Amino acid sequence: MAESDWPAAFSTLQPFLGWALATEAERTHKRQTSEMADIQAFYVAMLSHLEDVLVYLNQFPLERLPSHAQQLMDMTLSLAEIAPAVELFGQPREDDTFDPFRFVPQHH
Amino acid sequence: MKDRQPTGTGENAAPDQSNDRWNDKYPHLGTAPIPIEPYISREYFALERERIFRNVWLNVGRIEDIPHPGDYVVAALTVCRTSVVVVRGKGGQIHAFHNMCSHRGNKVVWDNAGRCRNFTCKFHGWSYGLDGRLTFIPDEQRFCGLQKDKLGLTPVAVDTWAGFIFIHLDPNPVETLRTYLAEVVPGLEGYPFSELSATRFCWRTEIKANWKVAQDAFQEGYHFPVRHKASAAAAFTSETNPYCHFLSLDLYERHRRTSSYGNLDYTPTPVAGMAYQFGSSVVVERGLAMDNLPAGVNPTRRPDWSIDVFWIFPNFSIFPSNGTYLTHHFWPVSADRTIWETRTYFPKAENAGQKFSQEYSKVLLRDILMEDGTTLEHMQDVLASGAKTHMPLQHQEICVRHAYNVVEDYVGFYAGR
Repeated sequence: MAESDWPAAFSTLQPFLGWALATEAERTHKRQTSEMADIQAFYVAMLSHLEDVLVYLNQFPLERLPSHAQQLMDMTLSLAEIAPAVELFGQPREDDTFDPFRFVPQHH
Repeated sequence: MKDRQPTGTGENAAPDQSNDRWNDKYPHLGTAPIPIEPYISREYFALERERIFRNVWLNVGRIEDIPHPGDYVVAALTVCRTSVVVVRGKGGQIHAFHNMCSHRGNKVVWDNAGRCRNFTCKFHGWSYGLDGRLTFIPDEQRFCGLQKDKLGLTPVAVDTWAGFIFIHLDPNPVETLRTYLAEVVPGLEGYPFSELSATRFCWRTEIKANWKVAQDAFQEGYHFPVRHKASAAAAFTSETNPYCHFLSLDLYERHRRTSSYGNLDYTPTPVAGMAYQFGSSVVVERGLAMDNLPAGVNPTRRPDWSIDVFWIFPNFSIFPSNGTYLTHHFWPVSADRTIWETRTYFPKAENAGQKFSQEYSKVLLRDILMEDGTTLEHMQDVLASGAKTHMPLQHQEICVRHAYNVVEDYVGFYAGR
C-alpha cells in the first residue's frame, strides 16, 4: 500500500491493520485468540469511524476496491466479527458455547 | 442507505392467546411424553435408513451451486451408505448418479465440488460423460463380453423446485417431487429465492448427536430466553411474549411451517444499528416491506414477525425472512453422529455497506447457532443412560411432537408393540 493512499481521516485506524483479514476463518481465529482489551480497542476505534468508512468505501465498485480500501473493507468485516464479543458476550466467546473452530466455513 | 433507524416504538401486542395451545389444534398428536428410544437406538436408526432416507426426496443444494455445464457437487449420503454426484450436463439439465465406478466400485469423484468435462475414475481410468454414459475403458479389448452401454453410472432421480435440487435414491420414484412438496409449495410460492441466492455462506460440522436431537433444537422458541439469553433473546422475546411463542403454525402430513415472533421494541446494538442503516438485518428490520413477501410467509401479516420456518421432511428446513433466508441440513451418520450444515443467503451486495451488513447478519447467526450446538452433544451424552425413558413436551414444542410422529409413521418401530 502506498502510504499516501490511506485517507487522512482514517489515520487513527492504521494501527489496527492487523485486523485487515480476508476470510471469515482468519477473522474468527483473530477474535478467538485475542485479548478482550485488544478487541475492545479495535471496536472503539473502528466504530467511531464506521459510518464514514462505509460512505467512503461505497464510492468504489465493490469488486475493484483499491488495495487500501480493501484493507478498510476487511477491517469493517472484522468489526462485524467481533461485535457480538463486545456488545453481547463481553468475551471473545461465550462460556458453554460450541467450539467455533468446529463450525467450519465452507466459504471465504 | 436507509435514512431511518428502528425507533423501538412499535406496537407490541401479545400473540393471540387462543392460538397458544397448539396441542388443542392437533388433538390426533396427543399430549403424552414422547419416547427417548428413537434418539438413541441403533435399531431405530437402521429403520430410518431403510424406510425414510431411501424412500423420500432429499435436498442436496441449489441450482446456483452448479451454474455451468460440468459443475458438480457431491452429497455424502452416509445414511444411505452412498455418495451422490449432482452435475449440470452439457445441455444445462441436471443429472445425479451414485458416485461409484461401474468397474470395481471406486468413487469417481473424490472432492466435494468442482467442474469437469467428464468423470474419470482414478483407479483404472474408466471415463464417463456428464450424462453418466461410459465413454472410455482403457485396454477395453481385454474384457470379455462387456456391455459398455449398460455400464454407465447408476442414476438416481433428480428434480428441482424453486431452485432447490432434490434427489431420490429410487431412480423411478412413485411420488414426484412436486407431489412430495405439495403441502409447503403454496406457502413458499413467490418467495424471491433466486434473487436472494446470489450470495451464499455455508458452515459444516460433525456433531456427536442423533440427527433428530439436532433438528429438534431448531423447532421451538421455548429455549430462546435461556439458551440465547446473551445473543438473541432481546430481539425475539419481550415482556408480552417472554417465551417466544409462535405467531402461527401449520402441521401437515409430513412437513410443517411456523412463524416466529420478533420484538418491535428491541433496541439494536451500535453495530447492529449500522448494519441496518447500510443494509438490512433480521434482528432489527421489523414490519417493513411486508408487501414484498408472498402471502404464505408470515401468513397472519403481523408486524411483530421475524422469520418463518418450513420443515421439509425429513432433514431439510428453509427459514425465509425479509431480504434473507437460511437453510439447515441434518445428515444422519449414525445413531449418535450427524453432519450439520447451515447455509445463509443474501442478494448480491452492491456496495461495501451492504457487504458489511451481510457480514454482521451472518456472524450473528453463526454465534447464535454456536449457543445451540453445545446442548446437542450434552443431551446425547446422557440420553442413552436409561435414567429417563420419555420427554414431556409443551404446546410450543408441538413441532418436536409432530416430527416424532411423522418419523414414527414411516419407521413403524412402535406399531404392533
